[in-house]
Formats: sequence, structure tokens, C-alpha cells
Amino acid sequence: MAQESGTRTLVSQAQLRRGRGRIVYWTLLATIILGFTLVFLGPLYWMVTGALKSGTEIAQTPPTLWPQHPETDNYVNAWHDLNLAKLLFNTFYYAIGAVLFQLILDTAAAYALSKLRPALGNVILGAMLATLMIPAMVLIVPQYVTVIDLPIVHVNLLDSPFAIWLPLVANAFNIFLLKRFFDSIPEDLMAAASVDGAGPLRTLWSIILPMSRPILGVVSIFAVTYVWKDFLWPKLVMPSAETRTVSVGIEAFSRGTSMNEIVAASVIAAIPTVIIFLIFQRNIMSGLTAGSVKG
Amino acid sequence: MSAPQYRKAVAYALAAGLGLSLAACSTKSDDAATDANGKVTITVDCQPVGTEKDLLANWNADVAAFQKDNPDITIKSVSVGQQCNNPPDFTARLAGGTMTDVFYGYMTDLSQVLDSGQAMDITEYANKDTVPTFDSIDPALTKVFTDGGKLYALPVKNYSMGLVYNKTLFQKAGLDPASPPKTWAEVRTAAKKIADADKGAAGYAEYSAGNTGGWHFTAELYSQGGQVLSEDGKKADFNNALGKQVLQNLKDMRYGDNSMGTRQLLQWGDLLTNAAAGKVGMFVGAPDATQAIVSQFKGKYEDWAVAPLPGQDGLAKSTLGGGEGYFFKKGLTPEQVKAGLKWVAYEKLTVGKGQFDYPRAKPQNYPVGVPQPLLFAPGTEAQKAEVELRKANANVDPAIYALFENQQLPIKGEPTNAQAIYAVLDSAMSGVLTNPNANIDELLKTAETKVNQLLAAGS
Amino acid sequence: MAIITAPGTTEKLGRSEPAIRNNARRNRKIRDNVTGHAFLIGAVLCFALFSWYPMIRGIVMSFQRTKRGVTTWVGWDNYTRIVADPSFWPAWKNTFYFTVLALILGYAVPFFVAILLNELRHAKGYLRILVYLPVMLPPASALFLFKFYAYDPSDAGLFNAILKSLHLPTSQWMQSADATMPAMVIASTWMNMGGAVLIYLASLQNIPGELYEAAELDGAGLWRRIWNVTIPQTRLILALLAMMQIVATMQLFIEPLILANGAGTEDSATTVAYLIYQHGFFQNDLNGAAALGVIMLVVLAAFSAVYVRLTTKQD
Repeated sequence: MAQESGTRTLVSQAQLRRGRGRIVYWTLLATIILGFTLVFLGPLYWMVTGALKSGTEIAQTPPTLWPQHPETDNYVNAWHDLNLAKLLFNTFYYAIGAVLFQLILDTAAAYALSKLRPALGNVILGAMLATLMIPAMVLIVPQYVTVIDLPIVHVNLLDSPFAIWLPLVANAFNIFLLKRFFDSIPEDLMAAASVDGAGPLRTLWSIILPMSRPILGVVSIFAVTYVWKDFLWPKLVMPSAETRTVSVGIEAFSRGTSMNEIVAASVIAAIPTVIIFLIFQRNIMSGLTAGSVKG
Repeated sequence: MSAPQYRKAVAYALAAGLGLSLAACSTKSDDAATDANGKVTITVDCQPVGTEKDLLANWNADVAAFQKDNPDITIKSVSVGQQCNNPPDFTARLAGGTMTDVFYGYMTDLSQVLDSGQAMDITEYANKDTVPTFDSIDPALTKVFTDGGKLYALPVKNYSMGLVYNKTLFQKAGLDPASPPKTWAEVRTAAKKIADADKGAAGYAEYSAGNTGGWHFTAELYSQGGQVLSEDGKKADFNNALGKQVLQNLKDMRYGDNSMGTRQLLQWGDLLTNAAAGKVGMFVGAPDATQAIVSQFKGKYEDWAVAPLPGQDGLAKSTLGGGEGYFFKKGLTPEQVKAGLKWVAYEKLTVGKGQFDYPRAKPQNYPVGVPQPLLFAPGTEAQKAEVELRKANANVDPAIYALFENQQLPIKGEPTNAQAIYAVLDSAMSGVLTNPNANIDELLKTAETKVNQLLAAGS
Repeated sequence: MAIITAPGTTEKLGRSEPAIRNNARRNRKIRDNVTGHAFLIGAVLCFALFSWYPMIRGIVMSFQRTKRGVTTWVGWDNYTRIVADPSFWPAWKNTFYFTVLALILGYAVPFFVAILLNELRHAKGYLRILVYLPVMLPPASALFLFKFYAYDPSDAGLFNAILKSLHLPTSQWMQSADATMPAMVIASTWMNMGGAVLIYLASLQNIPGELYEAAELDGAGLWRRIWNVTIPQTRLILALLAMMQIVATMQLFIEPLILANGAGTEDSATTVAYLIYQHGFFQNDLNGAAALGVIMLVVLAAFSAVYVRLTTKQD
């Protein structure tokens, strides 16, 4: 980890190595490791083993730490009854599409606003940033009515992935992040590219984008997380059972399925992302660390 | 290419023009309704979901058999969840126009369906030719789906509420399953005994969330002889001795006897999950709740029985009734409407077929003998045939339902604006079930003010 | 997409020939204008369709009523109806209560966790993964975990079992009007704080060590250093996340929906967002829902005006 090279932080290294400081540090470290494990891993353990318990064991007081007669029925039933494979596929499909749409359209826009500065650019930027303070909830009804019947073309986007992808492009935070980053790329580089006769697209592609990998990573992570976490919008625009996302699907089934089966479904639904996260955690962490706005 | 598809193509091209190649596919296929050979295709919703294995298999077999009898008709089934009409999803489908050609709805949904402008007038198509048993259908039911002299849906189910109880828990508590409680006082005593005999069980369980609490408050108020709204429908009419009695009964059981379990804020699925796990002694419900417990929540039908709704002294003064039907989407061709009617008639209104195929249901994990759905008017041929077939194939002791069937209580429908009022009444129900210090007068007064505000605002 | 590949003019060319330079500049300007807008068009269309237009449409809808497919102007009717809704005031009260609790817990906790993690020299990677892990769960999964296990009101519930073993009073959690909102904040913080912690960590690492050094030489203790160095140095990101947090808490929806089956006990869980949903999709009242959306917008606008005033005053 970069920090272990000894950059000075709030408390100096030297202080932590000496006498009382050392004891405090190690006690604190142990407490934190134990506490965090209990707080963040404990509930997950509870969930995984809970779904292995029978209905009667779940209701037992005090609760058992380890299932007495583990049964996998709940997991098997959840997988089949909820059609989890399809739900997971949908969610990933929407997430990947969202990343592509945001990366391409928002990067292009931020680049234009930062470097090309066309006429009225500032007005457009202002209008975009003004939406930062507008929570999605305020727009949910008119947005829904719009998606049902797009103006001019009169297309109904319900149950179509575009209903998730396109509204996500209208993300002022992305524009803000990207533009800020592009602003920090020195003008000289652009000028140099200009000398070489590179057009704006070439400049974007071969100079700006390679430098922007960290911020593009951040935008992608945010996009995936957003689709993954969003609930009401997909619930509304994906009314069919075949087009639902994982969260919506599980919630929809919770009203008519036994509790243990729902918990089992929740566990299964969490597995793929947790695995992806564990594999790519270094990239995700360093992406977020390197690329996030400098405070 | 039809117009919508053309538009869709334009939209896709637009998106692609923005620099993306898209491998997206829309899930909505607007198949041509009638092809050159005169074949008709209709989509129908409320296909049972995967968890209801027998019901789903039955449905699919029915579709196959129906298509064999009617080679010109193709039925495409769509499953929309366990509760075919979960209000928000139903509204979303109506608003988006994404419901199927023939779609399921509650009796209370007519005005909403009309509001959405999506309902088809089926008056001229619904008759003995398309629906052989049409003249036997209880006229009171078709009337519910009629507006301005026009019929908009075909009724497929009609229920009224009773007291659903678990015979096994009754026996365990030393109660006689053959003589269930007839008054709320008896319900309280029985609930106490059940809770004492089985610590993990609720003697009596009640809803208090997701608008189902208000729904049951209404049923229990009817049992007291009360009504939710005044005759003219302009004022709340439950802040009185009758409404208080409803909440007092619940409070006594919840906190006086502690016989309703710790977990509250239950809604439909929560209560039935607990019931299926054998943790609920009694609850207010329609006889078909026992079918849901068995087919969806994996309970055992041998455990369950239904009695008439109890009242304060003697049986209930009246009970809550409701039902379901199939609507038709505006813009269908006459052939499609006829095909749809034929299918609904086959699946839901033919004795010996579909939902009335008792010989098939008998060996399945499905109770036969439940005196519902009361679709046919008493005395008609269809009604007699249905009763006979049901009795002949009953797999539960008919005595269990005899009580319910022989004591037909007067049925009252749901109030206008039912969902909005239920949402308000949920609050009173959750108050009395989760707050030991709840003040019933306060709760009712607040709810009354709220309902009156609602009515005054004309929502 | 139109790509203009005309060779760009260069600065060195122009120096001796001002006329050409001006000309070239103008050309470049026109070119940048055209390309600029070509680059913008995709995002602008999306903003227009899904942000700006719905904004206006929402306001228009809030003064209309659609019944049986016919839309009429009804003036302030939707607003009076929505304000008269018995759940209107409780919904605002609950939403503000949640916002305040979330600022105390959901906002401050990640910051201090980040400061703590930044001081550690060991197990950093492990701890960061742990904190971020809940973010990876589908929100419905995480909430069902809380609903069924943690907040089970009987003694079999995880939290009650722990409280009981510590001989502390147990709680009815979502069934108790007082505990509903705090319980929702706990669940929400648990499942969402990972992102904020990582962002704070990143900005903490950008603080030059000399500043702490200097502060220490001035005799500043631990808290003084946090107050005088850490917070000012991360002020921008703190301000940004505070704003985002408030916007986010205004939309509290899935938590009440799953944890409290919607309204909770005696409306103790109803939020403004849930009320919008209730009107729009339960009560067949999209117009009333749109009106409530506009009210929410006005409240937020007023809030941000105050916010901007406060933050600019400090400078």
C-alpha cells in the first residue's frame, strides 16, 4: 500500500512506535479488526447460515450460532422459483450498458465543455449542474410518463433497457467529475496535439483518454454501483417478470414467498458481485483512490 | 412493419447514431393479432408462478387442451407475480399500457381501468355463444363490472370473508375443530388457549401493513354491523362504538392476552407464510386463503378449515365480499375479444374444466370442497352441476365448510376509494398492534379526520 | 459523427502575421463550436429528455388532472389534496428526522472511520474491503437481512439477542414508532457507507504531511489537528458529500418499503418519497404525486439557497 512508505498523517509514525503510543496503536488495531469483522462480516455470516436453518430453528430463542440440521432446500428453491439466473443477467446487462452509455456520451460532453468550449457551453453546463440538486424522486412521475411515451418519436420504453441506460446519461455529477479532471490537463498538451494536426476526436482519443483512465474508472464504478443499487426506477420501468433486476425481483417475490427462501435468494444474488469485487478490489480501490476529486 | 415497430427502429437508429452498436432487443413483441390463415393470438395474464407447481401445470395443460379444441386460437400466457394484481404494479401496467390483451383485475379496479382509458366494452361479445354459462353467472357480479350499461369484464371469482383456522393447533390446545368460535369473545378465548399450548404460535393473527390492515378492519367492522363510510359516501363512519369494539378486541388479544405473537406489521404474504409454517391459529380470510397457503406457501390443507365470520354477539352481522375478473384491452379486434372470452369461459367458467376441474385437483395438494368461487346464481344449471361435482370430489371433510356454507352471511362490498382509505386505516391497526399504550379513541379520531380530508379533497 | 480534420492553426505561425492568426483563430473557433456541439449532442439530448423536459412536465402535470384519459387544468387542486393527505406532515417530519440522523450517523461515521483507517499501518486492505463489502450487496438483500434477522422484534432476533445477553432492554425495532427511523438509519448507513469511506480516504491521502508536522510543532493536539488541518483540507469533499447525502436522504424509499412494509407503525416510516409512490402508483393519482414532487423540489431549492449562503459566507 502506498501509505506504508511513511507519509506523515494525523499522528506521526514515530509516536506510534514508542512506548505508550505503541500499546495504544496495537490495542486500537486489534479492536478495529475485531469490531469491523463483526460489524461487516458478521451479518453476512448470519445471512448465509440463516438460510440453511429450518423455519422452526429461525424462530428459536436464543438464536443458534450454527444451523443444527443444515438444509440446502431454501437455496435450491430460491434459485428456481425466482429465476435468479435471469435476474442476475438482467442486472449485469443493464449495468454494462449504463457504463458504456455514460462513458461515451458523458466523456464526449465533458471534453467539449472543458476543451472545445463551444458557444453557450457555459449555459449548457449550468443547466446540467443545476440538476445536481434535483433528486431523482422529484422527477420520478414526469420521467415515468416521458418514458412511457417519448415526446416526438412516441416510443414506449417500458421493459426496454434503454429506459435505464438513457436517463443515466443525464448525470450531472459525472459531467462535473470529468470536466474537472479534463480542466486539469494542461492546455499545452492540447496545443501540442494541434500542432501535430490532430483533430478534436484524435486529441480526445490519444491524449486525453489515456491520461483519464483513473477518472473513467471512477465513473464506471459509480455507474455499476448505481444500477446495482437503484430500486424504484427499475421497479417502475421494468414491470415484467423477465426484465426485472435482482433487487426488484427479490422484493417482488418477498410478498409471497417464505422468509428463508427470500434470504437464500438474497445470499445467492450477492455472491457474483462479491466475487467480482474481491477479484478486482485492487483496481476498484486504487481507481476510487486515485481518481476521486481532490479535496 | 407496424407503426410502433417503425418508431422503435427510428429510436434505435438514433441511439446507434450516437456512436453505439446495440445488441439490444425489446421484450415487447407486438405480433400481428390475426395472421393470413385467420389464426388469432391473444395474451393473457395471471398465469400461476413457478412456486405453484400444480397450478402452473394445470394452467399449461388447459392452454394446450383449449388450443387443441380451438386450432384457430393461440394463447400466450404471462405471469405477473403471485398476487396477480399487486396495486402498484397493476397501476404501472395500466399507465404504461403494458397489460396483456386479456388482463386480470379486482372488482374495485373498474373505475381505475376506465380512468386509464384502457378498457374495452365487451357488452356485444359476451353472450351464450362465447361464454356458454353466461346466463348462469350471478347477475350481481356482472353488475359490478358494468358502468353506464356497458360490461367491461367477465367475473371469474367471488369471495366473502370468514374465519380461517388451523385444526391441528385447535386440537393441540384442546379445542374442538368442529365448533370454531362464533363470537369475538370466543375467538379471544381460543386464541389464548392456542398461544398457551404452542409458545411459538399466534392464536390469532392480523394484518397491519400494505393496505391489508385497513382491508381487515373493514371486514371486522362489517362483522360488528358497522360501515366504513356513511350511506352517501361523503363521511367516515367508523369512529363510533362499533369501530372501537374492533380495535378493542385486537388490543385485548395483543396486549391483554399476548396471544397474537410478537411479529406485527404483517401483510398478505407475511401472514400466510406464518400460517403455512403452522404458526397461526386463526385469521380472518376468504376460504381461498387456504388454497394460497397450500399451493404457494407450502402448507398442508389438512390443517385448515373455514368458519363464518364471528360477530360481537353471535355470528357477524355482515361480511366483506369482493372478487376478480378479466378485463379486455382497448383496441382488440372482435376476433380477439371472442377468443379471449372463449378462453376465460373455458378456464374459469366451465364446470369440470379449468378452475372447476375438481377430479384433477382432488389428488393434488389442493383443497377441493371449498365453497367458492360463488360465480353462478343459485338455482341455475351451472350452479347445481358445480356443487355436485365439488361434493363428489371433495378431498376435505365437507363438514368443515358446512358451517361457512350453510350460514351465508349478508355480503357487503368494499367502500369507494378503497385503497386510499385502507392506507389510512392501516395506521389505526398498526397502532393498536404495536403500541401497548395506544389510545383507541385517538387512533380512530385521527383516522376519521384523515378519511374525511381525503373525501373532501375528492381524490 | 462529424469529425473535422482540417489542420489546426498553430501559435508559432501566427506571431509575425496577426491577420492570419486572427483568421485562423476564428476558424478554429468555428470548428471547435461545431465539433463541440457535436460532442455535446448525445448528453444534451439525454438531459433534455430525461431531466429538463420532465422538470417542466412535472410542474405542468401538477396543475392538471387526468381522469378517464381526459386531462383538464385544475389549478391548485392537486396541491390542496396532497397537503390534506393525512400522511403529508408525518412524511416530512420523518424525512427530516432521517436527514438529521443520517447527518449525525451516516455522514460523520464514515469520516471518522476514514481518519482511523488512514492512521493504521496494518491490515488496511482487509479493513477497506470489509467496509466496502455491504455496498456490493443488492440493497434488497441487505435490507431483508436487517428486516428478518436483525430487527426481528422477538427475542430470537439478532439485535435483541445481543441486547439481551448484555442485559440491556430489547426493542421492538420497526414495530416501535420511536425506533423506526433510527433503525432505518443504522441499516442504511451499514449498507452505504463504504463508498463515502473510500472517497474520504482518498482525499485524506492528499493532505500534505508537512501541515500536520507544522501544527504539531505549534503544539496542536490530536483534536486540534483534526479541526485545523484535516477538516479544512477536506472541506470541499466534505461539503460535496454533505450535499449529496441530503439529496440522497430526501429519496429514502427502499428502506421504508422493505423494512417497514411501507408506512410502518402509525405512519412512523412514511417518507416523502414513499408518499409520492403511494399516490402515483397505489392511489392512481399521478398528478398529486407530481405536485408532491414539485413541493419537494421547492423545499430542496430553499435548502440549497441557505446552504450556498452559508458556505460562501465562510470564505
